[in-house]
Amino acid sequence: MFRIRRTAIIAPLFLLVVMCAGRPAFAQMDFSGEWQPIFYEDQPERVAGPEIGDYTGIPINDAARMRGDTWKASVQTLPEWQCRPHSADYIWRGPSQLRISKEINPVTRQISAFHLEWLRSVDTPVWLDGRPHPPEYAEHTWGGFATGKWEGQTLTVTVTHLKEGYLRRNGLPRSDKATVVEHWTRHGNYLTVAVVMNDPVYLAEPFVRTTDYRLALNGLVAPYPCSVVEEETREKGEVPSWIPGKNPDLHEYADKHKIPFEATRGGPQTMYPEYISKMKTK
Amino acid sequence: MKGKLFLLLGVTFLVSGARLYAHHSFAATYHEDQTTKIEGTIVQFQFRNPHSFVQVDAADAKGVMQRWGVEWGGAGQLGGQNINRYTLKAGDKVIITGNPGRNPDEHRIRMTGLKRPSDGLSWGTKPGETFD
Repeated sequence: MFRIRRTAIIAPLFLLVVMCAGRPAFAQMDFSGEWQPIFYEDQPERVAGPEIGDYTGIPINDAARMRGDTWKASVQTLPEWQCRPHSADYIWRGPSQLRISKEINPVTRQISAFHLEWLRSVDTPVWLDGRPHPPEYAEHTWGGFATGKWEGQTLTVTVTHLKEGYLRRNGLPRSDKATVVEHWTRHGNYLTVAVVMNDPVYLAEPFVRTTDYRLALNGLVAPYPCSVVEEETREKGEVPSWIPGKNPDLHEYADKHKIPFEATRGGPQTMYPEYISKMKTK
Repeated sequence: MKGKLFLLLGVTFLVSGARLYAHHSFAATYHEDQTTKIEGTIVQFQFRNPHSFVQVDAADAKGVMQRWGVEWGGAGQLGGQNINRYTLKAGDKVIITGNPGRNPDEHRIRMTGLKRPSDGLSWGTKPGETFD
């Protein structure tokens, strides 16, 4: 009788131990690998580059619009711009392969960080070990400071401490006070990242973009040495820019695509479907 | 041996996927729907990333000599098109075609074609001789 009761207790316990040993201690999706960007309709913007004055689809405010209107592309020939990496928030939209590698805690065997690297970026760690973000006055970098937490199989990443960057490569800025929330989701060989940008300086409301990648087993992030040279001759001290109201190219995008100039100016007032009916009444 | 090396380099380039080097926006920098041509003398060839630059002394449309900054592909991309840092040198006479910069005072060109009459070197005519 005693033997039967002991067996009845031990057997389920043994079964439970076996089941637990066969599962990860904590559900973690593995994002590591080489990933190839998928461009879809964004190819003209993400590869060749956006057109001047195309602010469509971005909830910018007046300050951002002014920066875009006075921006001159040749500012990027200045020495401090030539080898500048894309910031951690923009680089998801960049044209190159992505490598995600994982850092494992040797004791817990859990993933303690993912490291991201593109052709034209700096190593960007995403810490998963619960460390806090530094105080606001801490150094701001191109990669920012990123931490992640699991929400089921989705990794939600918060990025702070970014240097000033850009929302679009035609002069629309993103301030160094911006915070970024990313949601990484993997569906088999596809990775979708939804980036939610909050910028109290240049955005009127959060700006959301999703970007897709495909697993590429033959992917390669090549070395990228960059040297500063004199790309363009100019007067000493000159910083390329337009005086407000003097940029001659601002209407080009509207004229070329035959849409009202107002519709190209961005901001929440022009980026939702309701604007189409409003535009037709004008 | 040399053939195997070239084969290896070619395969490496192919398996690396679409290696794209876009840095700034070409549409925002150049009039992509226009073409201009200059004939002049190379002052300097800067073979590098993110894009190479060829500094050329040549006359503008009014006949005034100018220093032109001609943008070309990045070192990695041009390397796959048989261009290296020794391909051009100061003093070479060249004919360059390309998209003019949006601001005429800056004398910039995005190269789409190159010819060096002294030895017949050309770039931009064969498939794949482009850059991004």
